[in-house]
Amino acid sequence: MDMIWMSLVLLVGLLLLLGAGLWVAFALTGTALVALHAFSGIPAGDSLATAFYGASVSWELAALPMFIWMGEVLFRSRLSEQMFSGIAPWVGRVPGRLLHTNILGCGIFAAISGSSAATAATIGKMSVPELTRRGYDRRQILGTLAGSATLGLLIPPSIILIVYGVATEQSIARLFVAGILPGLLLMMLFAGYVGLWSRFNPAGVPAEREASLPLVEKIRRSRPLIPVVLLIVGVIGSIYGGLASPTESAAIGVALAHLLSWRGGSLSWRTFVEALMGTVKTSTMIAFILVGAHFLTVSMGFTGIPRELAAWINTLSLSPYLLLLALTVFFVLLGCFLDGISVVVLTTSVILPMVQAAGIDPLWFGIYLVIVVEMSQITPPVGFNLFVIQGLTGENIVRVARAALPYFLLLLAGVVLITVFPQIVTYLPSRMGS
Amino acid sequence: ETHWDMPTPYGDTNFHTVNIRQFAEDVREATGGELDITVHSSGSLIKHPEIKNSVRRGLVPIGELIMSRLANEDPLFEVDSVPYLASNYEQAWKLWQASKAVLSKRLERQRLKLLFAVPWPPQGIYTRFPVVTGDELRGVKMRAYNKSSERLAELFGAVPTQVEVPDIPTAFGTGRVDAMITSPSTGANTRAWDYLSHFNHAQLWLPKNMVIVNIRAFEGLPESVRQAVEQAAAEAERRGWEASQAETEAKIRIMEENGIVVSEPSEALVKRLRAVGATMEQEWLERAGEDGKALIEAYRAL
Amino acid sequence: MRGFLDSLYRLGGYLSALQLVLIMAMVVLQVLGRILDKLLLAVGLNALGLQVPGLAELAGFLLLGATFTGLAYTFSVGGHIRVDLLHRALPDGVRRGLDLGVTAVALAITGYALWYCGRLAYDSYDFGDVSIGMVPVPLWIPQTVMVVGLAWLAVALADALAGLVSGRIRHLKDESPQE
Ligand code: NA
Ligand code: NA
Repeated sequence: MDMIWMSLVLLVGLLLLLGAGLWVAFALTGTALVALHAFSGIPAGDSLATAFYGASVSWELAALPMFIWMGEVLFRSRLSEQMFSGIAPWVGRVPGRLLHTNILGCGIFAAISGSSAATAATIGKMSVPELTRRGYDRRQILGTLAGSATLGLLIPPSIILIVYGVATEQSIARLFVAGILPGLLLMMLFAGYVGLWSRFNPAGVPAEREASLPLVEKIRRSRPLIPVVLLIVGVIGSIYGGLASPTESAAIGVALAHLLSWRGGSLSWRTFVEALMGTVKTSTMIAFILVGAHFLTVSMGFTGIPRELAAWINTLSLSPYLLLLALTVFFVLLGCFLDGISVVVLTTSVILPMVQAAGIDPLWFGIYLVIVVEMSQITPPVGFNLFVIQGLTGENIVRVARAALPYFLLLLAGVVLITVFPQIVTYLPSRMGS
Repeated sequence: ETHWDMPTPYGDTNFHTVNIRQFAEDVREATGGELDITVHSSGSLIKHPEIKNSVRRGLVPIGELIMSRLANEDPLFEVDSVPYLASNYEQAWKLWQASKAVLSKRLERQRLKLLFAVPWPPQGIYTRFPVVTGDELRGVKMRAYNKSSERLAELFGAVPTQVEVPDIPTAFGTGRVDAMITSPSTGANTRAWDYLSHFNHAQLWLPKNMVIVNIRAFEGLPESVRQAVEQAAAEAERRGWEASQAETEAKIRIMEENGIVVSEPSEALVKRLRAVGATMEQEWLERAGEDGKALIEAYRAL
Repeated sequence: MRGFLDSLYRLGGYLSALQLVLIMAMVVLQVLGRILDKLLLAVGLNALGLQVPGLAELAGFLLLGATFTGLAYTFSVGGHIRVDLLHRALPDGVRRGLDLGVTAVALAITGYALWYCGRLAYDSYDFGDVSIGMVPVPLWIPQTVMVVGLAWLAVALADALAGLVSGRIRHLKDESPQE
């Protein structure tokens, strides 16, 4: 089949470029150019220019550097260190101890931010150095971070649910509400796994001295948490208090982080510039990869590969469960090479009709899709959380991906759970509106 | 055999998209497969802001976009968005007949051929409170997304408030905006009942989507295929206008079924809207110059 | 020359940072306007509706600017990521060869992008394209910023390539963790 031949050429091409050590953004762009030149009659250069421009002028995307900046400021203030020492007394007896801060931090941050890359960058900037300093297992630090940061997509607000809602004319408000319980479910799965893992690997979870303190002392030692709580309340509050849109709230977060850092005495001209230049570095890197990924998406749209593959699945006329199984395999494979939003954009047109024909609720399917796309954030070679964490820690994406593998499997378990118990998704939205 | 990719901005269930898919099907059939158009809906291939220039630059031969997007380029493109200038299907059709030639000319300068245009259902007022006389809008935050929507809000005494499309539900839910103007289509498709309660079927204007073709791509087609495309376009236009009317009724019914209070404008409100419309028409004429004046005269003469 | 190039990259970084600061400042002003309105309403006055006109669109343009003017700086500090797993396992000579190869490929892609983005900007200028929001911005302006940013990156890549060829640098700079 022609399609399979084309797909193979492009996959091997992308892998070769990445494997040779070409920068990720260039590898994506290069593959897209090959795809357009070899498999379409489209003017590749003009298409590149339009894609580069269209992908980089984006209001929604403007939240990304803002959140990264917030993380940089917090990292350079004493706030992040204080946050960990404030939480430490409470988790001393919980199996997994401070590893849970990654899960909890990402979960809370996910309620502010709509992207998983911003979640990974912000939380990771604070938690990775602190957990490393305290002697936690490196692999678990990276794994919990990579896995939990994907929650940024599922817990509202979520960029990808907006994209899905707009493309399929589903209510974005309902999709957001539908994402809440599955998000909590995944957090519980992650936390359960960390607890279990630490039972078998006690060496990876150092004891926290503060664990055996009396309650009053624990509360007293939690006082440093106040600024962080204020920050979270300020950002979430600005959204729900009608002061800021979710995108705008990111900039509010930056302003508040500076305010807190100034109050805490760690804001100076030097730390200000350092944080800002750190932001430039990380956000430029991510944005450039996003631009390349968008161009690859466009070129894939022109070659028609994802559509034809999806249409091929359609010809199999599978039962609902088998269809979901086939789609999951399809999305996971596609998600290895494309970013999540691209997967949704490229395939919904073909896939949604077959899903609806099979009697599957499109609202439920949106949440299913987001969890599957979350998995793509941590699968190599193209996984945004892997890129962010490599940029953050210098650890190679292959190592990060290996550390994140259990979380990939837990996300898969989440998919199975919402398939068997669809109420996890549909209950809250069914209580909404009329 | 020629293959065309056609980017469109709206989702698959949107009546514009349904109509365009039918158009592509008709062309395929009429040309015996000689021209094969693949429709890429909801901005999946090229996003709305880039569609016009992509067609102009020959990246894609054909595409769809909302006409009034080009208002900053040339005010003539927002003649269908002047409140109360043409506020039902009959008037909107006349306005389209009067403006077709001049708009086609403008687009030709950009190597674009205007194939056909289909209106959205008439724009009404969405609020979280009843609107009876129009005074209720005084001081409330009304969604604005370009200059004319900003001006409209001002003329109502409302506070123009910038809100991006995906942000609309949150903005209503958290009180950043209290009112907006859009079609019953968009209201029902975004499940407006989740975040607001009232719809006034004020029929302010009927904005249009247009389908454009790159002239070089079009002229590269054999004569017979070109004719087939023109014929399918005429058919799509006729079908689209009917679908739009049916859509208006269907979507209003859906909103009612879901608990939105739908009302017709009172006499007081109509009077108010006329005054606002007259002011905005005058302002539009100032921007649009001689061509605008000629257009309005031609429209009134029909 | 060395010092000039390094300051050139840093200048790009500062420009990028400046645009991020502008985005932040505009949003904060917008939110302050809303807070003011809430206060006015609370004391029974009318809302003023002060806002930054066309905020979303302008922020989008600034974001484009921040991304593209920051490319060369980010490259110069090893911030663009790549999979260098293979590199670490390879003998030094082969590794240098690969680095040379990928830098040349990156330079070629950048040059290609530069040319076509230039054409895009010229085309927008030629046809007088403007943005659709409240503040009509001629599109050639942000598109030219894109071209300038890519040219900046091309200089940085050519610089690295020359360094590798002449042996001035042994290996490409890759991000060191938590610097
Ligand atoms: Na989120
Ligand atoms: Na992936």
